[in-house]
Amino acid sequence: MQAINSPSEIIVALEKHQYVADEEFATALFLLLKLQKPLLLEGPPGVGKTEIALALSQLLETKLIRLQCYEGLDINAAVYEWNYQKQLLGIKLQEGTNLSVEEKEHHIFSNEYLLKRPLLQSIMEEEQSPVLLIDELDRSDEEFEAFLLELLSVFQISIPELGTIKAKYKPFVILTSNRTRELSDALKRRCLYHWIDYPDLEKEMAIVKKRLPGIEQHLLEQVVAHVQAFRQRKLAKTPGVSETIDWAESLLALGYREVNAKAFEQTLGSVLKSVEDINQAKAEFIDTL
Amino acid sequence: MKQQAFQTRSIAESVVGFVQFARSHGLNVGIQETQDALRCAKEGLISNRDSFKYALKAIFCNSPEERKVYEKLFLLYWDTNPTDLQEIKNKTLVKGSFKKKNSASLVMLGRGKTEASEEEGKNVSGATETERLKRTDFSKLNETDSALLEDIARKMFKQMAIRLRRRMRESRSKGQINLRRTIRRSVGYGGEPIELFRRAQRPKKQRLIVLLDVSGSMDRYSYFLLRFICALRENFRQMEAFVFSTSLIRISKALQQNRVDFVLTAISEQADNWSSGTRIGECLHEFNDKYGKLLLNGSPVILILSDGLDTSDPELLSQEMIKLQRRAKRIIWLNPLKGMKGYAPEARGMKAALPSIDDFRFAHNLESLLELENILANA
Repeated sequence: MQAINSPSEIIVALEKHQYVADEEFATALFLLLKLQKPLLLEGPPGVGKTEIALALSQLLETKLIRLQCYEGLDINAAVYEWNYQKQLLGIKLQEGTNLSVEEKEHHIFSNEYLLKRPLLQSIMEEEQSPVLLIDELDRSDEEFEAFLLELLSVFQISIPELGTIKAKYKPFVILTSNRTRELSDALKRRCLYHWIDYPDLEKEMAIVKKRLPGIEQHLLEQVVAHVQAFRQRKLAKTPGVSETIDWAESLLALGYREVNAKAFEQTLGSVLKSVEDINQAKAEFIDTL
Repeated sequence: MKQQAFQTRSIAESVVGFVQFARSHGLNVGIQETQDALRCAKEGLISNRDSFKYALKAIFCNSPEERKVYEKLFLLYWDTNPTDLQEIKNKTLVKGSFKKKNSASLVMLGRGKTEASEEEGKNVSGATETERLKRTDFSKLNETDSALLEDIARKMFKQMAIRLRRRMRESRSKGQINLRRTIRRSVGYGGEPIELFRRAQRPKKQRLIVLLDVSGSMDRYSYFLLRFICALRENFRQMEAFVFSTSLIRISKALQQNRVDFVLTAISEQADNWSSGTRIGECLHEFNDKYGKLLLNGSPVILILSDGLDTSDPELLSQEMIKLQRRAKRIIWLNPLKGMKGYAPEARGMKAALPSIDDFRFAHNLESLLELENILANA
């Protein structure tokens, strides 16, 4: 990996990994790399918040470690846990040996019996900084958010039996949120912030083209223009960029070269995900085809 | 008055100046942010105007709203010419005077204007007096009683919040055996599981959304109901609150400070239609439209406090109520008028909403509000 010295280099490099970023976003990513501060991404679903972590890890040629948040996520699932069954076996195996109690204890609380969960993994990397993706943080509880606050400021974790583990290489942290609840101000202040919105027509076409290089210009224009029109309507679920790609992909798979009435009806399910939306779109758009 | 870019002498000074400028205009930026901004300048980002703007945007802003403010501040700070300054001064002046007018228009929701006979009120307070006040309709309170009842209400709401929390804590002792912890502890006994640990039932955090009607007809009740909402917030940390009359305003942020007076000022700053007519249907529509996708996930409990005197189309109201019901765990509607003798839900709006309501209750006095505790605890 060559060193990155400006936001525009990030744009070029990301493009190689099939991710289209504008200058504003690239600047935020550049700061993430330079200042080593976590980056909080917010925006509607399906605009590539999660995708960027993958692209960034490919660009940096480093590991991507992902933590998916959910309600009730606790330390055991996020940081570490002892492998108790294995420890029990370990004790039984040691029964015949002459080891002292301290030695036995030392043995069963060693690395071998430690189950590393994503957060611990991310600070134990030996070679280079990994990319740590903490996905949909708004779904986790406040307690977990508070714990994260501590981790994000010092990048160290204390395990009572082992001692404190400090990151040799600080991970590049990307947090995403769908804004189902407001994150705490304290957490937000520790992060850089970027809001990803739905792309405009031109950018969305570029994105789809990147993903599906074989697509014909006419079909591409039709698909993207339709999705952009859908977004203007009041729908139960507004389609994101990933839905646009899905739709284009299904049209290609079925061998269509343009969006006609039949194609529209057959494939609408890959872009709109509720009956009301589909009926509304059919009523409104099918005559124009 | 904060200075602007043209008044500074070095780059570092102007960057620091910008941080102060942003702070004075409400962005939450501190020393850490200043340092980061200077580091950006050092990294060479300052050579390109857009890069520099975007970089500081990522550092300074925390929400889409702040990002909009930032755009203006950036222009104002870096692009102001000394010659234009006179004009800007005038603008801020106009803005300031406008604000004053806004807060002056705050109507005090049936709260007493004078507290002349307060002394008298204190003398008569006793157990029976408390009981009487608890049953008094909010709309029939005189000013002395009103102050007194406020005291009682504050105490009782506080107790209620504590009770609700305690109930959740005690119910943890049941549950499945937690194998991992049991084995973990048995290591000390040579592998014999002597102490049993149970998987604690995590108190399920029920999400609550409150919609309070602050229109003219509710004027006499809104103040107490707002206080009630503040008390609920202590228990339901994941609570969202809105007030509505002709339009909808989100007050969740203001409630976090937990002071009714703050909330009132915060609301009055935003609301120009406080204590005016009601358009419940349209407000619910706005709620579904703007916040539905964000807040109605995971079946929250929805609490609506309104008298149902609606001036908009009842058809719309009934439609929106159905939409709400589909995504909510249950809808509780508190109607202060229901406490009146001989009340029947005859108002057009109330009639339209009724089929979608799971629990229709009254809320005209303190006692009826406190009864809600049981419902919410089991919700």
